[in-house]
Amino acid sequence: MMDVTDRELVFPGRILGEGIERSGNSFREGRNVFSSIDGMARVKGNAASVIPFRGGYTPKESDVIIGIVSQVLRGSWLIDIGSFSKAYMRGEEVTRDALNSDLSKYFKIGDLISAKISEVNELKSSQLMRPWKLEEGLIIDVNPKKIPRVVGKKRSMLNMIKDKTGCKIVVGQNGRVWLKGNNIEIAIKAIRKIEREAQSRGLTDRIEKFLSNELQSR
Amino acid sequence: MELEGYLRGDYIRNIIKEGKRLDNRKFDEYRNLEIEKGYVGEKACGSAFVKLGDTKVLVGISMDAGEPYPDSPGQGVMTTSTELRPIASPYFESGPPRQNSIELARVIDRGIRESGAIPTDKLAINDEKVWVVYIDIHILDNGGNLIDAGGIAAISALLDTRMPKFEDDTIIRGEWDGKLPIECTPIPCTVAKISDQLLLDPTQDEEYAMDTRLTIATTDTINAMQKGGGFGTLTDKDVDDAVELAFSKGNEIRKLVEG
Amino acid sequence: MKLLENGKRLDGRALDEIRDVKIETGVLKRAAGSAYLEWGNNKVLAGVYYPREMHPKFMRDPTKAVLRCTYNMAPFSVDDRKRPGPDRRSQEISKILSEALSSVVLLEDYPDAGIDVSVEILQADAGTRCAGLTAAAVAIADAGIPMRDLVSSCAAGKIDGEIAVDLMKDEDNYGDSDVPLAILPRKKEVVLLQMDGKMTKEEFKKAYKLAFDGAMKVYEVQKAALLSSMDSVEGGE
Repeated sequence: MMDVTDRELVFPGRILGEGIERSGNSFREGRNVFSSIDGMARVKGNAASVIPFRGGYTPKESDVIIGIVSQVLRGSWLIDIGSFSKAYMRGEEVTRDALNSDLSKYFKIGDLISAKISEVNELKSSQLMRPWKLEEGLIIDVNPKKIPRVVGKKRSMLNMIKDKTGCKIVVGQNGRVWLKGNNIEIAIKAIRKIEREAQSRGLTDRIEKFLSNELQSR
Repeated sequence: MELEGYLRGDYIRNIIKEGKRLDNRKFDEYRNLEIEKGYVGEKACGSAFVKLGDTKVLVGISMDAGEPYPDSPGQGVMTTSTELRPIASPYFESGPPRQNSIELARVIDRGIRESGAIPTDKLAINDEKVWVVYIDIHILDNGGNLIDAGGIAAISALLDTRMPKFEDDTIIRGEWDGKLPIECTPIPCTVAKISDQLLLDPTQDEEYAMDTRLTIATTDTINAMQKGGGFGTLTDKDVDDAVELAFSKGNEIRKLVEG
Repeated sequence: MKLLENGKRLDGRALDEIRDVKIETGVLKRAAGSAYLEWGNNKVLAGVYYPREMHPKFMRDPTKAVLRCTYNMAPFSVDDRKRPGPDRRSQEISKILSEALSSVVLLEDYPDAGIDVSVEILQADAGTRCAGLTAAAVAIADAGIPMRDLVSSCAAGKIDGEIAVDLMKDEDNYGDSDVPLAILPRKKEVVLLQMDGKMTKEEFKKAYKLAFDGAMKVYEVQKAALLSSMDSVEGGE
């Protein structure tokens, strides 16, 4: 039996239902399923989940993240991905003879890269692959839980912002967003607006209108 | 955390589910308790060496003439400190012992202080000076349940304490002038919660396996309580049961301490 | 000094009545989650950072995060200035608050990590550990760090020989017993219990019950604060 309605606000320990299916941000005790966070309940058939409003980043396989090179090791790099756990990247991603080359030729401490998480182990520490250096531009921090809305379904939201502003944007699932080129301020304003209004309906249309207005009034 | 103790945890939790303890004690059974008062009787004003199973604790009492707290003129002062000596466990140096040792001292202190065992109003020396009673708890071998072992040793040592002779505004060391008055005998009694059972007097292995512990110090009233030692929870019934145990076991131990 | 007159206390409360509790979430920008709490004349700020790499290294636990709560009283929070920095009392309180919070946070989601929770007592009027713990639980929820339940707290004590809930400083100074309690309000289990003073078994049971009921009232305030903060986030246009 479901104890919440769709889009109802819940808090940690709030019962979601008895004998129901459980998915994200909930836990089970006996037959009962409870929310583990502060957020919005979503109900689909016999399953309940909770969408978070806030929260840090926990690495997940195949996420694209934006990292900062924090150490150059022998044969690999240590990358800060803004999480509690460590991320490494093998030198082999850029050179065959990683052990004998000076890896700081490729990426040095403080360099910004985007990369894909290829593997997360049981300690949540991750391996990165396919690095891409992000040069110049501007980096902003966005609540990682709002990133899916910034990207949108099939990247629709992100593509729209890019098309309209002509700004280059790389979005990391870890909450870091890199921007370069035209109309950076307007793109940032739009992203902040999405961050604030992530859970509301009709967001894409509203952002599109917002961008048009902002660009016109320039 | 001690790796072996950590690995024994599962085993201990499982046999407790079957109603057994690693050392074959009943759940409400204390380990063998030996109290030797006056253990370091030459210098210290009072002392007691306590063996609780293989836990060994030595408490020494020192007395000094000092100033009262500004807000309680004419009242004697007591302070309790613990030292988790490195000799007592290979892990006392490496871990973060500060909070553990502070909690230990403060819980023991509360039982004694709140029971009024030390009549601080009788400890004025003259208009300016009062007696300061230092209770120093030395943990020498950590076999678990340091709160009870330390608390029992502390009150035993207090019962053994002589008043130093005070003449011409100075303490004459080595000469005595009667005994420190002690009004009652507070006894701390600790249960560990493991696999939903309450176990009296946990060993060190049981402490690694426990979800939480509850200490209750009693005289004819309850004088101090402390839940600590883990992230587990207690039910209403756990608290009730622990209170009953604390009174009944406290009475038994009190006889040994006073004897 | 007489603390009870016709069953009413100095501030007009009944024996089983707690002081007003107000909680506001999201009050700090840099902390991942935060809460400001007023409880009578107590003023408390709690903040938490997202799980991060644990330092020092030897304290790391490969099976779960280590939660460290630091309780600190501002020097100006009490009548006689408190010397800044951790004293023994605040170290003990930090320890038991850390334990109480660790019993609800899903620490196993963050192996090897550390979660730092700060409780700052800005103005103290008795019951600060309960107030601090109550605020800390809300701050952790506000950060979106997963928990099994909230932690709600309240104390009870004895004034003029009667058991009363939630003593304020004027009562605490003359009162002679105190039972701080914290519970998991959903599971109705105890995560913090201390006591000092002199109480018979019956008096203790009464104090425990009053503190428990007080904590359940505090729970209602915590829930309302969390829900209303999300309401404003969600609104949109």
